[in-house]
Amino acid sequence: MTGRPEREIAALRAQLQGERGPRLWRSLEEIAESPAFARVLGAEFGGFALPEAGRRDVLRAMAASILLAGLPGCGKGPPDAVLPRVADPADDPPPDRPRQYATAVTFEGFARPVLATTYAGRPVKLEGNPDHPASRGATDAFTQAAVLELYDPDRSQSPTLLGKESGWDQAVQAMVTARRDWLRNGGEGVRLLVEPTTSPTFRRQIEALRQQLPQLRLHAFEPVGKERREAAARLAFGRPLALRYALEHAAVVVSLEDDLLGPGPAQVDHALGWSARRRGGHDAGAEAIRLHVAESTPTLTGAMADTRRIVPSARIPALVAVLAAALGRDGAPAAPELSADERGFVSSWASELRAHRGEALLAVGAHQPPEVQALALRVNAQLGQLGRTLLASEPVVWPGAEAAGTLQELVADMAAGRVQALVVLGANPAYTAPGDLDFTAALQKVPWRLHAGLHRDETAGFCHWHLPLAHPLESWSDARTVDGTATILQPTVRPLFGGRSVHEVVALLAGDPWARDREIVRATWRDRLDDDAWRAALRQGFVPGTAAAPVGDLAPSPAPIGLPPAGGDRGLEVVIRPDPSIWDGRFANCAWLQELPKPLTKLTWDNVLLVSPALAAERGLATGDVARITLGDRELRGPVWVQPGQAAHTVTAHLGYGRKRIGRVGQGIGYDAYAFRASTKPWLGTGAEIAATGDRHELATTQPHHRMDEYRPVRLVAPGKALEARPEEENQASLYPDWDYPEIAWAMVIDLDLCIGCNACVLACQAENNVPSVGKHEIGMGREMHWLRVDAYHDGDPLDPSFYFQPVPCMHCEKAPCEVGCPVNAAVHTPDGLNAQVYNRCVGTRTCSSYCPYKVRRFNWFEYAKPAEPIVAAHYNPEVTVRARGVMEKCTYCIQRIARARIDAALEDRPLKGSDVITACAAVCPTTAIRFGDRNDGASEVARAQKSPRHYGLLEELGVRPRTTYLARIADQGEKGEG
Amino acid sequence: MAAASPPRQRRIYRLPEGHEFRTVTEQVAAIPLHYPQRLRWWLGFIGSSLLLGLLIVSAAYLFSEGIGVWGNTIPVNWGIAISNTVWFIGIGHAGTFISALLLLTQQHWRNSLNRFAEAMTLLAATCAASYPLFHLGRPFFFYWVVPYPNTMALWPQFRSPLVWDFFAFATYITVSLIFWYIGLVPDLAAVRDRATRRLPQVLFGIFALGWRGSAVHWERWRRAYLLVAVVALPLVVSVHSGVSLLFAVGQIPGWHTTVFPPYFVLGAVFSGFAVVIMIAITLRHAFRLYDLVTRRHLELLGLWLLATGWMTAYGYLADAFMAWYSGDSFERGTLLDRLAGPFWPIYWGAVICNFVPLQALWFPRPRRSSFVLFVIAFLVTVGMWFERYMLVISGLFRDFLPSSWGGYVPTFWDWGIFFGLIGFFLFFFFLFVRFLPAVSMFEIKEAVWEEEHDT
Amino acid sequence: MTPELYGLMAEFDHPTGLVAAAEAAREEGYRALDAYTPIPVGDLGPLLGDPGSRLPVLTFIGGALGAAGGLFMQWYADVIDYTINIGGRPLASWPAFVLPAFELGVLGAVGFAVSGMLIANRLPRLHHPVFAVDRFRLASEDRFFLCIRADDPRFDRKDTRAFLEHQGAKHVHEVPAC
Repeated sequence: MTGRPEREIAALRAQLQGERGPRLWRSLEEIAESPAFARVLGAEFGGFALPEAGRRDVLRAMAASILLAGLPGCGKGPPDAVLPRVADPADDPPPDRPRQYATAVTFEGFARPVLATTYAGRPVKLEGNPDHPASRGATDAFTQAAVLELYDPDRSQSPTLLGKESGWDQAVQAMVTARRDWLRNGGEGVRLLVEPTTSPTFRRQIEALRQQLPQLRLHAFEPVGKERREAAARLAFGRPLALRYALEHAAVVVSLEDDLLGPGPAQVDHALGWSARRRGGHDAGAEAIRLHVAESTPTLTGAMADTRRIVPSARIPALVAVLAAALGRDGAPAAPELSADERGFVSSWASELRAHRGEALLAVGAHQPPEVQALALRVNAQLGQLGRTLLASEPVVWPGAEAAGTLQELVADMAAGRVQALVVLGANPAYTAPGDLDFTAALQKVPWRLHAGLHRDETAGFCHWHLPLAHPLESWSDARTVDGTATILQPTVRPLFGGRSVHEVVALLAGDPWARDREIVRATWRDRLDDDAWRAALRQGFVPGTAAAPVGDLAPSPAPIGLPPAGGDRGLEVVIRPDPSIWDGRFANCAWLQELPKPLTKLTWDNVLLVSPALAAERGLATGDVARITLGDRELRGPVWVQPGQAAHTVTAHLGYGRKRIGRVGQGIGYDAYAFRASTKPWLGTGAEIAATGDRHELATTQPHHRMDEYRPVRLVAPGKALEARPEEENQASLYPDWDYPEIAWAMVIDLDLCIGCNACVLACQAENNVPSVGKHEIGMGREMHWLRVDAYHDGDPLDPSFYFQPVPCMHCEKAPCEVGCPVNAAVHTPDGLNAQVYNRCVGTRTCSSYCPYKVRRFNWFEYAKPAEPIVAAHYNPEVTVRARGVMEKCTYCIQRIARARIDAALEDRPLKGSDVITACAAVCPTTAIRFGDRNDGASEVARAQKSPRHYGLLEELGVRPRTTYLARIADQGEKGEG
Repeated sequence: MAAASPPRQRRIYRLPEGHEFRTVTEQVAAIPLHYPQRLRWWLGFIGSSLLLGLLIVSAAYLFSEGIGVWGNTIPVNWGIAISNTVWFIGIGHAGTFISALLLLTQQHWRNSLNRFAEAMTLLAATCAASYPLFHLGRPFFFYWVVPYPNTMALWPQFRSPLVWDFFAFATYITVSLIFWYIGLVPDLAAVRDRATRRLPQVLFGIFALGWRGSAVHWERWRRAYLLVAVVALPLVVSVHSGVSLLFAVGQIPGWHTTVFPPYFVLGAVFSGFAVVIMIAITLRHAFRLYDLVTRRHLELLGLWLLATGWMTAYGYLADAFMAWYSGDSFERGTLLDRLAGPFWPIYWGAVICNFVPLQALWFPRPRRSSFVLFVIAFLVTVGMWFERYMLVISGLFRDFLPSSWGGYVPTFWDWGIFFGLIGFFLFFFFLFVRFLPAVSMFEIKEAVWEEEHDT
Repeated sequence: MTPELYGLMAEFDHPTGLVAAAEAAREEGYRALDAYTPIPVGDLGPLLGDPGSRLPVLTFIGGALGAAGGLFMQWYADVIDYTINIGGRPLASWPAFVLPAFELGVLGAVGFAVSGMLIANRLPRLHHPVFAVDRFRLASEDRFFLCIRADDPRFDRKDTRAFLEHQGAKHVHEVPAC
């Protein structure tokens, strides 16, 4: 192809200059016939052929549309000055192609670096930014759901005054007048409540604001947050620090209730490190990472642990103290008494930690008392792990305790009437404040209250003014990842609902209502980035060299650390955790996350009280019974879930539900654990009681049965061993001659030893493939639509089981039973070995699903894909059919990506390679457990994985020849638990 | 085939000496011409019309909302829609069986039963055939299963048991209709000749095709009738085998077994005989056809029910034994679900209803008692419904992976369609007995005549 | 030959009488005969004319055509016209083709048999001279009729009537032509 289409078009346009009327059409005709135009068409439409009949007319019409009207329009398009991510800045992708913008969404203030794929200005999918050190292409489930959050029609759409619709002009007016009073007394009595953030711009703005209003006081509150970890750092090292784990350098990790692999801002970071190390162990010789966990309630970390110990949460301090005494030299408190069993594994762990000093890690949950965490930090320091497995750097999150007061202080001041005006930015304390603070009562004492947020939430309901904030995908901003590397957030679409970015709102507070977020952010970086560097940063999605400066020569402060008084060990303990799917409740209105099965229970649309089988038997509780927990004068009613592996006398409650005001999706489901939470002991309550109320509550789970029975879908191998040789021939024996797949044979291999059950793949698939959510009732009936499910099994003694995860997409069987069943050729096999489903041919007999041994097919029982409001449909991926009622659907190996790659290959006329395609699930996986590629290409990862001694096919004995296969989980069976 | 000499048998018909033929015609032709049991008929007819109304409402709601209004789920994406298809078509088979097999084996007593038995076949087969349509996700595209030249340049997928069943059902209904109708023609002529009012004369005249009982016609008619019977027999077997293959082709534990075709066919004839018995007893008493449907008939039907019952029982045993003998953990699991698992009430319900009361038929007195026979037949009908339900659902609800196990509870709309279709069946059966000779006159006369010559 | 007459019809009240009469008539040399009975009387048909022996052959042809057509259609569809990999099975999956082919065979056989019978019987034919005889309606109840058509060379109004009465007919009816 000579020259690029745009230039050719320009050239052709030149020929039309000055032509009018009939002459114009004649010259159009000439052009239409010209080879140059043929090249343009070739470039635009790939293999393009027209029937001779009417060919001239068609071509002339095309020439007219292309040359006169220009190429197909780009619609509303993204705002100015945003820069798509392309190899060659001069070369803008053609408009019919998706554009990718390197930007980020935020979670608890941290940046999740992403590439936002947009079609005609509509962001439809987020991929992890492969160039970003903290992503390498992976994201977590929350990030995948950000797209749906963007299009949430329940988002706040205009400023409100006392709950009534108002306009930005009035809001600005109100601010101006308010500021006049504030300026009179330097902001005396003015309070600002923010969520801790990593945005340099936000920090710059607030500090500037404080210049204007010296008396203004700042308060920070994060309902889950890490402030106890910060406090621990101060205790241990006498200064504020950002601490993170470098699991890729760890040989032994002892985690005491620290859910390293579980959801949270650091999940991807940890998963990358852990899997890198774990994968190392797969090749003979290299030493795998060993993970020992003690916890009261099962977590993803516990599920992946080599040894998992069940201890009450209240026992962790004692264990840490003993470990510290065993390992530390000085400053350790008197070691309390341990049970024989505890002494056994603690000493074995201690010796392992000692043996691996420098490449070991003692991790303690961020919810544990600061003193306890401080002890652990000090142990790590003494074992010389600082800067190796435990990285300390200048704080990334702002404001810390130095810069801001706490929520408790704010409430006290409000109650005492010391607060004249309160501005809440993003936070939602009216819902998330611990129940014993009675935030709302205090709040109403404040004469002037303003809330800015994505939703008109509980807090908005208690404020005079509410301002709608723009979504991170709609606004300019900046944020830093856990390692401190900064990303410039650029909008992928103009604000859909007339929100303003938080920076514009702060500017409004600072008396500059006309400042635009782009200028504000640019100003922050002006001295650091010249225009070229700025553009480069936008294109690649981060600012190089902005990682937080590591802090060397940290001397553990010798000051002895005393343990907090251990709570009385009579009665039950109640541990409070963020919900694995909707976290602290901020995602409550996202249907994808509400319907995302929680990793271990596979429960959707609810939160439950986890109790151990022992306690259930003791109190006569069964899953689904509504129970009442009483702790002092506080009470909590919720449905019980009997969870194997739960500590006998620990009850787990999850935050995030029981929302009163957010939207149609998330309102009024589940119980509100915040109301039960104590501000002094937010994570653990001891001496509680539980009793059945006699009521029942319907729970909707996607997997009613979790026990592995006689048949074991998840295979295990002892370390260093291979699966017992499989009777290959027998399994593969067939009466029929084999079809051969000469060019490409797509295949997927899923490594169960790396899968941490984080659900990122499930949501990535849902976002990529327009998979609808169906709601609690349908889930309860067993009508979930997820194309990819992650099965969770437990095995062994229910009181102390092992946990396994198994992602199950379509197996794309070569001898697919479903295809044989279909009466209308709707389920057919493609030449590259995909088991394809032709939606518009399907009549819905559901025979395919009846015949499917894996039950991976999903049926549109109702018109599920119809969005609640038109705007929601904007998130649909235009490259994937939206399925109608009465049609069967299932995993396609992301056939649209394969097709796109094939077209591109054709345009560049080169053969399609397996490495050209990666499925949404494989791309997002933070542990690269999912591998996809061409089985025929011996060099490909799948081909190599299929030669692994751990390789097996699920139900392969049925002879259906699955294309999706598995690598067995490595675990010492039998001698389970012995360290 | 006529070569085989008629087996000697006890006399069945005891008709007034010398007036046998006239009595038969009077008793039977009287029903369509000047209808005796008006009140009872209207009650029954209105009752079934109401059920038919339920069908219309349920279908309308189903089509407007989608299959979701039923209880189906993944994994149980086939519910009672499919199990009822099997049940209905099974009932139908007894009709063809009685008409064809007993005709070929010269069991003349079948002559008083075949007419309404075949009507039952037609209606049951229609219900069975309509069920898969209700059950489609996109029912308006049902015709894509038919091979016809189309702009999509597509064909049905001939490896699919569903396509087999389409051919089987279509053929079966057509053949049953033809068989029933040509058997009806001479009687239509008889009614035509009895008719005194104009309208019946015209209508019956038309549908009698101008039949005048010419000996030559009779000869060709009899040959054609026998030929159709010869072909209809294997057809019955093929149809229900096809139905059973719909399951046996799937690699699902509890389905994937070779005993299914005979198991299903025998069960079908079994359930069919049960329904024939119920209809026979009802008609006998409703219209006092004591001379035409005699105690001897009931006795013989009872014996057939007993025999086919035991054959079905063999199916149960073989099925269970093979599941155990296979040693396959999934097969055994499904067997266990049926015997002692969540499906034990259905399974044992089927076993008890089907086989326990049945044993009374070893003894002559219950065989001769209309009441006892009716009760047993009813229980068998219910039992066979349980069996179909058990076979379809218990295979699906727990197939292979524990993670994809699920449940199934039929909703109101499931039942609405089911009882609606029963209403459909009754509605048209009432019309049949009201307007057509429900018992074959000339065949009874033939039987009577031949009896006189044999004995 | 009297054009206004279709034939003479003798009425018997028992099949045996009818059969005897028919045999006698054949011996007398009558050929244009037909009998009308409420039930098929075994040996009458062959005696009076077409034994309908072509029907079985016809049925077989119908069946063969149906089955062969069915097999061909499926083979053509899957192997020639729309070749696609279904469940890794061979394009020509003969075992799967058997059932539809069989059903189509049945359809063909039945269709040929029944239509053959109707055509050979010249049915439907709603009007026929014999219906003109009043007592003929009993032919579908319990009376047995033997009819000698007027177009028989041996037919003679008086002789034939005498002959029939001699055979023990209850009545002999004149069947007007029309």
